[in-house]
Amino acid sequence: MGEIVIGIFLILLSVLIYFNSGDFPQLNETHLDPGSYPKLIAALLFSLSLILIIKQTVTLVKAKEFGFKDGFKNFMLKQWHEYKLVIYMLVVLGLYIFLLNILGFIVSTIIFIIAAGLLIGPIKKKNVITISIVSFVMTVGVYFFFENVLYVRFPNGIFF
Amino acid sequence: MADLFLLGVSEIFQIDMLIVILLGVVAGILAGLIPGFTVTMAIVLTLPLTFGMEPIMGVAAMVAVTVGGMSGGLITAALLGIPGTPSAVATTFDGYPMSRKGQPGKALSLGIWASFLSSIISLVVLIAIAPQVANFALQFGPWEMFSLIVAALTIIASVTGESILKGLIAGLFGLLIATVGADPIAGITRFTFDVDVLRAGIPFLVVLIGMFAISRLMNSVERTELVSDIQQKQEDKMKSMKFVLKPKETFMSIIKKPVNLIRSSAIGSIIGAIPGAGGSIANIIAYDQAKKWSKESEKFGTGHDEGVVASEAGNNSTVGGDLIPTIALGIPGSAVTAVLLSALMVHGINPGPLLITNEPNIVGGIFIAFLVASFFMLITQFLGIRLFVRVTEVPTQILFPLIMVLCVTGTFVLNNRITDIYLLFVIGIIGYLFTKYKFALAPIIIGVILGPIAEVNLRRAFMADPDWTLFFSRPISLVFLILAVLSIAFTIWQSRRVKHRKAQG
Repeated sequence: MGEIVIGIFLILLSVLIYFNSGDFPQLNETHLDPGSYPKLIAALLFSLSLILIIKQTVTLVKAKEFGFKDGFKNFMLKQWHEYKLVIYMLVVLGLYIFLLNILGFIVSTIIFIIAAGLLIGPIKKKNVITISIVSFVMTVGVYFFFENVLYVRFPNGIFF
Repeated sequence: MADLFLLGVSEIFQIDMLIVILLGVVAGILAGLIPGFTVTMAIVLTLPLTFGMEPIMGVAAMVAVTVGGMSGGLITAALLGIPGTPSAVATTFDGYPMSRKGQPGKALSLGIWASFLSSIISLVVLIAIAPQVANFALQFGPWEMFSLIVAALTIIASVTGESILKGLIAGLFGLLIATVGADPIAGITRFTFDVDVLRAGIPFLVVLIGMFAISRLMNSVERTELVSDIQQKQEDKMKSMKFVLKPKETFMSIIKKPVNLIRSSAIGSIIGAIPGAGGSIANIIAYDQAKKWSKESEKFGTGHDEGVVASEAGNNSTVGGDLIPTIALGIPGSAVTAVLLSALMVHGINPGPLLITNEPNIVGGIFIAFLVASFFMLITQFLGIRLFVRVTEVPTQILFPLIMVLCVTGTFVLNNRITDIYLLFVIGIIGYLFTKYKFALAPIIIGVILGPIAEVNLRRAFMADPDWTLFFSRPISLVFLILAVLSIAFTIWQSRRVKHRKAQG
């Protein structure tokens, strides 16, 4: 099932690239312009993705089973149980990246490490303390290493 | 040859360089040791740290991480029967039974020696072969280069992953990502769709970190992964075993049977040189061959010396083999060497057949760094193994956020752009979905790095002569294209045969 979705996504991507490859300014290249190579790759990707989709659909129809053996609701529950943390982590990571510019590197990183750590691990006193210490040491360490050794300027945010 | 060596020695034997190599080896061993943390991930995260260094130091650091990482998987494989990296799977076959028979020290010592000695053998192979290949490749015109890349990508696609179709799709996806941004010949901006983030293209490092690190991290917090991880760690505690290392005796026992060591190292070097095939394949094949040729093949699987030696020699010698096409042709055969090449490119050094002639100090530096890293690996493994074992006890809730922060910082450091991190987020999700449905990631990475080179050569070929039949009438180019077709045909034939056998029962 997932393969088919990926296949469709790739087909859309290759169509998008293919039809945007037509209008690049021509230099005095007679045979290949900036659009030709992407067109070639897009065409290849399109055909292979199509084969993949057809193959997968055939096996799916043959198997006559769509993965919902014990009902759709149960299936979704199981999936949610398995991938719950992945989704949480993506949300936390997304928020972290979004807040990086607003809160600054140090504040947002400390919050991110604590939040992610506590979502994955048990919320026990010992765990909370360890993660807090680790987050502080790590953040400050990374900050000073990159600022002083590699001269990277991190976003400071609104507080500093 | 000798001047390459001398240049290398003068570059590497400086105190700061040696310290960096030592740190790299330790980092590599730790990465190989922690289940779920791969050598590729370690090397990807090392890359941003090397931006501020001299090119040689950066490359030396990464070679050190690779050499250390290949040997790090040994520890958990031998002591706990869990391969720390995919490259150590066959090590569990004999290393673990040996530990259970009460000889964990012997298993570790054998593995460490085999790793070290095979690294040295593969280095000799590398030094002997790479310059010849590079010399030969100097005759290549754009036709040959393009066909070579086609061959490399199809071979990678057929060797890695579940099916060749998915492998090829992954490779093409990589090539397509690489076309976003400025066109490599005329500098015309392509496929940005008026999104500012895409104007500079999709940086290679962002793809690497997103595909290899973020997707792997996301994978590690799936329910089943977490549960098995916790179980493993509880077992770890039960098995805080005591062991005595026996460096001298095990060294002698390996040296007495040189054939096994040399055979396994040769297999590893050859497999390493094939694009896409690496330690995880070499270690199984070397083990299998050792079993076939051995006089005591019935002892394999019960904790036999030769099994441990063969599997560890097999995976460590791939490092040298992998470097052959990387140095001689500028074609990386694995994600690890792809990172190595991108480190050179960040510093403005162009990999390719001319690398040995133009940058002899870099190439010499890589050779000597490899040698020094192998020695450091030997020493740190024997001295520090007790400490390393404890690292597996670090829980996921600490490891996950820390590595994630390293990913985000590493991406930011590349260009000081927040927008790169948005890209990282998107590519991480794509990478996770791809791995979830068993698309191999290595072809994508190699596609991204080889894409622009392929395009430049294709267009140069047509500029020089618009006749497209030249790709087939120039003999070397034709050989590469035939190789590409053969690798596809062979893989399809092979998978048909497997299916057929299964059908027959």
